[in-house]
Amino acid sequence: MSKFFRENVFNILIFLLLSGQAFMYYYDNRPSSQVFSQKSMSVENFSSIVLSKSGLTKIGSEKLHKINEDNFFLQGKSYLENNEYKIYGEDISINLNEDISHSTKSVQVINSMGTLDAKGFRNIDSEGKIYFDGIVIFKSHD
Amino acid sequence: MVLLSLKVMIKVIFFIFSLFLHSNAYSESTVKAGDSLIWDSENKSYTATGSVEFSNDTFIAFSEKMIAKYVEKEGKELFTIVELFENVRIELKDEIFQGDYAIYTRNDNTIKLTGDVSIQSPTRMLTGHELIADIDNNKRILNSANDESLVEVLLENNANN
Repeated sequence: MSKFFRENVFNILIFLLLSGQAFMYYYDNRPSSQVFSQKSMSVENFSSIVLSKSGLTKIGSEKLHKINEDNFFLQGKSYLENNEYKIYGEDISINLNEDISHSTKSVQVINSMGTLDAKGFRNIDSEGKIYFDGIVIFKSHD
Repeated sequence: MVLLSLKVMIKVIFFIFSLFLHSNAYSESTVKAGDSLIWDSENKSYTATGSVEFSNDTFIAFSEKMIAKYVEKEGKELFTIVELFENVRIELKDEIFQGDYAIYTRNDNTIKLTGDVSIQSPTRMLTGHELIADIDNNKRILNSANDESLVEVLLENNANN
């Protein structure tokens, strides 16, 4: 027995080293569902197009957080653009199911009539209404 | 050759003149609201509340609430009717109109005020129930509470006359 080990010690050693390497390679490259999930929750310099009642709306932000299937949070400087309006703001929440977007930060809206500045907004797309809170200034090119 | 260049010059002048007219036709309006503003794209209106100020190249109006309706024309949106509610005050050159409610119609460029109406100019002040101000024709019609007495005031450009 000891003679067998003595004659094959290098073979055994090589086999153990190769086995160890194979084990390490497997664990290093194994797909992690947790990492994948985190990547889908937060995206930087994001832009995309969603279909809403107003038609196709392009949305974008410095950072997008997916809260759940229907709710997104556009962190930092963000925008929503479609045929009717362009909304430029900050920290905008979007509910795709109810077609609502809102923010409590300063916002600028440009439409075919003029430019509007407000302290915050609530856009109910299904009703075709945008509510602006606080001091609002709207300059039109009549 | 001289005639041709003259024709070209005339065309250029007409082109510049038409551009000037076009820019004047789309003068600027401003709406300021202290509390909130709602843009209703389905009903084509803006509703402003709380210390509202509406101004265009003709007058400045103040009230507690405003509903401005617009239409789309040649790819642009234009205010056609502006309604003002509560503590209405309109400053038109050296005149001040006050009332409970006012409606401005762009088509005929008139302002109609109702409620406790007053019209104040540098030389006089009149009160009544209803005021119709025809801006283009510089004509004011002030009706009193009973319809039988009608006061019409023609304002001269020179207020001292």
